Amino acid sequence: MTLAPVFFGSLARRRVATLFSFAAIVLGVALGMAVEAVHDAALTEFGRGLRAMAGAADLQVVGPRGGFDEALYARLAARPEVAEASPVVEVETQLVDSLDTLQLLGVDVFTLARVTPALLPRPAQTGAAEGDARFSILAEDRVFLSEAAQQALGLKPGDQLRLHAGSQPLELRIAGDLPGAAENRRLAVMDIAAVQQHFAKLGRLTRIDLRLTEGVAPAAARVALQAMLPAGVLIEAPAAAENQAANLSRAYRVNLTMLAAIALVTGGFLVFSAQALSVVRRRTEFAFLRAIGLSRRSLFAWLLAEGALVGLAGGLVGVAVGHALAWGMLAVLGGDLGAGFFSGLTPQLQFQPWTTALYVALGVLAGMAGAFLPAREAATVSPAQALKAGDEAALLGGRGHPRLGLAILAAGLAACWLPPINGLPLGGYLAVDCLLAGGVLLLPVIASALAWLLPTGGPVPSRLAAARLGAAPGHAVVAAAGVLTSVALAAAMAIMVASFRDSVDEWLGQVLPADLYLRVGKISSSGFLDEPQQGRIKAVPGIREIRFTREDSLRLAPGRAPVALLARPISGDGHEVPLIAAARPGGGAPAIWVSEAMQDLYGWRPGQSVEVPLAGRPVALRVGGVWRDYARQTGTLMIDLEDYRRLTGDRLANHAAIFLAPGAVADQVAAALKATGEPGALEVTDPGFIRGMTLRIFDRTFAVTYLLEAVAVGIGLAGVAASFAALAAARRREFGMLRHLGLTRRQIGWMLAQEGALAAGVGVLGGLLIGGAIGLVLIEVVNRQSFHWSMDIHVPWGSLAWFAGGLIALAALAAVLAGRQAMRQEAVLAVREDW
Amino acid sequence: MNRRTCLLALASLPVWRIAAAAEPDQAPPVTFDPVLPGRTLTFPADHGAHPGFRTEWWYATGWLALPDGSPLGFQTTFFRVRTGLGEENPSAFAPRQLILAHAAIADPRLGRLRHDERAARVGFGRAGFESGRTRVWVGDWRFEQTDDRYHAQVSGDGFGYSLSLVPAGPPLLNGAAGFSAKGPGPRDASYYYSRPQLKVSGSVTLDGRTQSVTGLAWLDHEWSSEYLPQGAKGWDWIGVNLADGGALMAFRMRGNDGQAIWSAATLQPAGGPAQALPPEAVTFEPLRHWRSPRTGIDYPVEWRVRINERRFLLQPLMDDQELDSRRSTGAVYWEGAVGVTENGREVGRGYLEMTGYGEKIRVG
Amino acid sequence: MLELTNLSRQFNGRRVLQDICLRLHPGEYVAIVGESGVGKSTLLNLIAGLDRPDSGQLALDGAHYADLSEDALTHLRRDKLGFVFQAFHVLPHLTVRQNVALPLWLKGLSGAAADGPAQQLLEAVGLGARAASWPRELSGGEMQRVAIARALAHGPRLVLADEPTGNLDPANAAMVLALLAERIRGAGAIGILVTHSLEGAKTADRVLHLTAAGLDG
Repeated sequence: MTLAPVFFGSLARRRVATLFSFAAIVLGVALGMAVEAVHDAALTEFGRGLRAMAGAADLQVVGPRGGFDEALYARLAARPEVAEASPVVEVETQLVDSLDTLQLLGVDVFTLARVTPALLPRPAQTGAAEGDARFSILAEDRVFLSEAAQQALGLKPGDQLRLHAGSQPLELRIAGDLPGAAENRRLAVMDIAAVQQHFAKLGRLTRIDLRLTEGVAPAAARVALQAMLPAGVLIEAPAAAENQAANLSRAYRVNLTMLAAIALVTGGFLVFSAQALSVVRRRTEFAFLRAIGLSRRSLFAWLLAEGALVGLAGGLVGVAVGHALAWGMLAVLGGDLGAGFFSGLTPQLQFQPWTTALYVALGVLAGMAGAFLPAREAATVSPAQALKAGDEAALLGGRGHPRLGLAILAAGLAACWLPPINGLPLGGYLAVDCLLAGGVLLLPVIASALAWLLPTGGPVPSRLAAARLGAAPGHAVVAAAGVLTSVALAAAMAIMVASFRDSVDEWLGQVLPADLYLRVGKISSSGFLDEPQQGRIKAVPGIREIRFTREDSLRLAPGRAPVALLARPISGDGHEVPLIAAARPGGGAPAIWVSEAMQDLYGWRPGQSVEVPLAGRPVALRVGGVWRDYARQTGTLMIDLEDYRRLTGDRLANHAAIFLAPGAVADQVAAALKATGEPGALEVTDPGFIRGMTLRIFDRTFAVTYLLEAVAVGIGLAGVAASFAALAAARRREFGMLRHLGLTRRQIGWMLAQEGALAAGVGVLGGLLIGGAIGLVLIEVVNRQSFHWSMDIHVPWGSLAWFAGGLIALAALAAVLAGRQAMRQEAVLAVREDW
Repeated sequence: MNRRTCLLALASLPVWRIAAAAEPDQAPPVTFDPVLPGRTLTFPADHGAHPGFRTEWWYATGWLALPDGSPLGFQTTFFRVRTGLGEENPSAFAPRQLILAHAAIADPRLGRLRHDERAARVGFGRAGFESGRTRVWVGDWRFEQTDDRYHAQVSGDGFGYSLSLVPAGPPLLNGAAGFSAKGPGPRDASYYYSRPQLKVSGSVTLDGRTQSVTGLAWLDHEWSSEYLPQGAKGWDWIGVNLADGGALMAFRMRGNDGQAIWSAATLQPAGGPAQALPPEAVTFEPLRHWRSPRTGIDYPVEWRVRINERRFLLQPLMDDQELDSRRSTGAVYWEGAVGVTENGREVGRGYLEMTGYGEKIRVG
Repeated sequence: MLELTNLSRQFNGRRVLQDICLRLHPGEYVAIVGESGVGKSTLLNLIAGLDRPDSGQLALDGAHYADLSEDALTHLRRDKLGFVFQAFHVLPHLTVRQNVALPLWLKGLSGAAADGPAQQLLEAVGLGARAASWPRELSGGEMQRVAIARALAHGPRLVLADEPTGNLDPANAAMVLALLAERIRGAGAIGILVTHSLEGAKTADRVLHLTAAGLDG
């Protein structure tokens, strides 16, 4: 400890460089911490809500979103294994004239009490409402709202609530609350019979919660009971939904965490740059310390400790900032950061000591990793050599480790072929790591290549800068490593986002061919068009063609998230579908068109015969082709509407695509369509609006990404500037000599600018190359494995060129400023030893 | 009379009182069948359910003896409730009719009641009732009549029983040939008959141990659409199988001041015709109170009941026969086995029910 | 011809140089000796045009420094001055030949055009075989020989050598001083050797003593 001032004092002397390293680590840690904390909060809340909802249920019977035959309830309840069965009809509803949605559970209060008492409603105890409270839980027009729902919707007992039900608004009175509902869970409960009646679920249940007879093992009961369930109805442990939600959002979370990693890795490199230069400058100092008895090991440890100290400071401040950020994000965006995985939750941030400690440790690790190589280098130099005067400006040499770099790149390539592990694209992330590491190791080669390519003529400053790069890439590499890392990751994200946006844009064009779209609210499980309503819509003049769509969701395998089912008119060749692969038409069975996720998750291939549970029966279908679906990650099936109606008897629809007759005016038709339903019940939009809104949401989602990238790159650049400032100070004597030889200040400034530009150029060039490769990995491996959709690669050449050019210019400017700083004192005098 | 507990049962559920009635904004009000004087009860048809009425119950209570001779009390109550809700709803879950059931065992060795309850809407075979004969069930609890023999099957928390109850004679019609006034108003009435002197045999399971039992029980079957008269806070009721083969049923409705606002009794001497007694022929006089340690409610657990000029002394099998289901359904009342003496001589055994000593009891 | 007339320079009130007068002709090689801190380096900075006197005049070949701008002085150094430093100041990222060619580059010669003359100069200092080497591969004596070659590469009128042997062992020091004298004389330039070693000073044509009182020979 006595030596602490010797080493840690050095951090204070190079405040600027230290500050940038610190800032990058703060950013990385804060971002990672925030994402983690928000996600933890949301998942905890989600899990708590699920557990409360599941209550004492040992098993749950689940099926398609449209539900299954209620007769199953009587059969299950009569089984000896079952102590009590609680039937539930769950619908996601939307408020009329509002975008707010509400999860509405139709329950049987009598069975609820013994299986999921947490959902028991409590009538409001107001004097006037007392008579009213009698049986209010059984009344058809009464609903009970959890505290969170009341707050979110700004309603209280006694108020009216208007929901979309079918294509009609449904007026309900709020009769009380749900005292047992998980705090923060937005939930509404009413009588099961009323929900069945209002939401066209007569004869249907969506869930049955089971409490098993004492002494019956859930596993055994599960096997026995599954045997009596119809196709598409599964029996699951209540935890399954929690896992599914966690899986669904995990990929999303990993992608955000990746952004945090960018900042953290950049921070590590900045520590590396700062330490590497500082160590070179302090060679004589270290030699002296070694000469008076400091062991090699101690020197190494102290230098590592310098990096660790920066990392620790960054980590501590980072977790604090991260919690603040998380708090802000929860308040503004909600638990899924706006991605829609946890709607209906208002999670509370909770301090997670272990996670927090982990992120502090990550900060320390980044600092130590950055300090490792310079420390080792400093510790291996022989004191005698270092004590010789004139050695201070010794160059960080090295040609890097091109072979090792190539080997790591090759390993990265191989990692791309790893299948997802536990649903996570770990191979992809490994490949990204390998590409980064390999890129940094190859940086000296890139620098040499660049120097070799530079013209040998030209003005003296250019020749000097080029000669310096070619002969001593070390300095440039140190400065460029941070740039390479941040540029590579930023470019990769840019390529991925551009590809994604471009593909989504094109996809929207394919899936929105009609002139107008009509739907009942945005929630398809509670809003629908019944046949009379469909008839009224068809009767509107000015329509050439109308295509109705029915939405449902199916359960294909236990433990798997539900799969969406879309029924709409599709011809035999599937040309209405954005196909990426098709089977040859033919075969007797009706065709089903599956999204890429079905291919990845269930292994379905074009032409394959598959069984799909429709209306409780397994139906043999033939996979007609694979299409791209950017709207859902868990798999989507599309089937011709006529086939669907024939197979299920379900004649409802959720929305309609309308093609106008020649000469019809869209606005007039839209108005006429709206007039076929209750005021406010039907929404009619044109595809341009949907497309615009979708892309706006897309851009808004990724705006955060861009912002974070910009911050990371900015810090990387600032780190370069700091490196140059440190370097320029060390090179004062060189500048002095050049002034003696007759270089003007301007020429020296120009030389520095070119050196800066070259160093940044090396980083940017390497970064773009590596970034392009990482972009491919993100698109083809990480996204594919996380979200199960492919995209067309679209490189934003223009933006990347601007980005690269701007970075190089900024780096040049930074170098000049650094040089000016160094020459401000009569630098030329520095060549004198004895004045 | 009775049993008012029904409400209790309902109180338990968020279903507070049965109610009734249609709310103003609800479309056509439901019309419940009225209780009118002069209707002749016919059997076996009237053993079955009367779903047009709002409330109906089958209420069996009695004394049992274990093989070693030690006494137990039991209670089995099935309520049928027409809610007036969902009458137009085609859903199979439409809550038009509910079945609620209470069961208890009074065991002096335990010193308090074992009790449990069930509730369900009628449908899906989970709960239901029959017309034409007594058959009512919820889950695996049931109370049913085959020929003239009743069967009660209950398995609850820590206890269960399967009892066969065989009547000794025809139904005992209370009030005016089964039209039982509950208050001075013409609408406060029910159809009400009793089956006294039911010979019990079967088995009782206590804490997993099943033993055969024999005993003597009492069954009430009562249905109405308006039960509690205005101003009534609760009631006291007894049903006693007299040792000589006769039967006594008596009740009084208490007002908020604790005084009787209505009372009535039916006395059937052994072998003789039943006498319906008017309010002035019946007095209930509390002799000793017991305070529940759980609810803090004071119950008069010893009574002197005057029927005309006869005076019966009622003493409980044990003091604590309070049925406290606040943690589940919420109803609190006292329903327990009592021994009856007259002039110091035991003349019968029966059940005493006291409601409304805590909060006002609600029945529909 | 180099002319110094009544040069004075003070720093923060401390008088370092007082009324220095000196006149040197082409081919003249003088040594200036003096104690540390007596102002030898200040004098050299003034002669190099890197510092300006408080009073007095400086002129090289008739060009008066006082009339020249900062840039013109830079060009004066580039064209007419050569330097040899104690710490060599050979650029580590240039090869030996490039280091020697550097002054030629500054005169506008392309890389290729400068290579020939630079090679010749290296041969002249006995390092022709090391032209492609990096400075880090050279010994101190060799490094200083490179510096001498560089100082004379562009045919300067005046060569300033500031303690050129300060970092060298005696054998190398003698060799470097001899070489320096030989090259300066061979080039017909004015040479000024600043040293505090009387031994080394003897390699010059004459020795001037710089003291607080002034410069005298």
